[in-house]
Amino acid sequence: MGGSPAGDGTLSLDGFNASAAALVKRWKEIEVDDSLPDWTWKPCSKMGVPSEVEGYLALEGVYRDCGGSQEQIDENDNSDGADVVACDTWHSLCPFPLQVQSCSDNVHVYDFHVVYSYSYKVPVLYFQGHRSDGQLLTLDEIKQHLPSNSLKVLGESKWTFITREEHPHLSRPWFTLHPCATSDWMKLLLEQSKVAIEEQSLLRYLSAWLSVVGQAVGLKIALELHCNS
Amino acid sequence: MAAEVDQKVVVHVRSTGDAPILKQSKFKISGRDKFLKVIEFLRRQLHQDTLFVYINSAFSPNPDELVIDLYNNFGIDGKLVVNYALSAAWG
Repeated sequence: MGGSPAGDGTLSLDGFNASAAALVKRWKEIEVDDSLPDWTWKPCSKMGVPSEVEGYLALEGVYRDCGGSQEQIDENDNSDGADVVACDTWHSLCPFPLQVQSCSDNVHVYDFHVVYSYSYKVPVLYFQGHRSDGQLLTLDEIKQHLPSNSLKVLGESKWTFITREEHPHLSRPWFTLHPCATSDWMKLLLEQSKVAIEEQSLLRYLSAWLSVVGQAVGLKIALELHCNS
Repeated sequence: MAAEVDQKVVVHVRSTGDAPILKQSKFKISGRDKFLKVIEFLRRQLHQDTLFVYINSAFSPNPDELVIDLYNNFGIDGKLVVNYALSAAWG
């Protein structure tokens, strides 16, 4: 199968598509507490016609309360349920314009996209956050939700971690995680895999990748994603 | 998961790539500890701040995960095998 990981931590476009489909399916199966929305596949469209092969993964509408400090979130093991409020719940909490106004300062909404990079042959995370009134968050505001280790890396390497680049399919500036070391650590993750069947390890590529990327941006991934089904 | 009596978990740390092998590669840790404690142990032992730490079934656990949860799901032969490499994921 042409889409199998090459053994050097990279992925072909076919492999990315197959792994993306596997992640979408698996994510639906394991998502028990509904604290995060589902991943969806967005086909790219050229001249209004959706592409059959090219697309990206999207996890949109991740709500984060920015009232509390990072330390408080760290101490609470079950913080995901508390600080990520599902869309409809949130609306029902704030039924009046006045209250919406007061909530808008405290809730940030994040969108995460996973796009295949032809030059690095790995998935790349793009993300952005906005307030409930639609105003995009600056890097300083996004920092409030980054884990302490990411803040440390950000302080040390300004240009090789989180930067702002043009989203390949939306042509607007999004924050992105630099992919230059991705194939190196993916190689480590894949070669230790007990899964001998190539196809299996292909399906696991994105969930393994997500375990590392999620930590960088403070997106908590349920352990069940990595368990044998 | 019900609050069980504090169960000890045997953690077996294995070097990959050019990471040095530790003299003591197996140790016991409380299941109620977070995975962060394993990462910090490795950092101290290796005098290395940037480590890539992962579990043998192909993922890198969040430092907030409890050791007992990792052991229950990914333990093999009565121990939790943790791999480490000297590379950094970012930066």
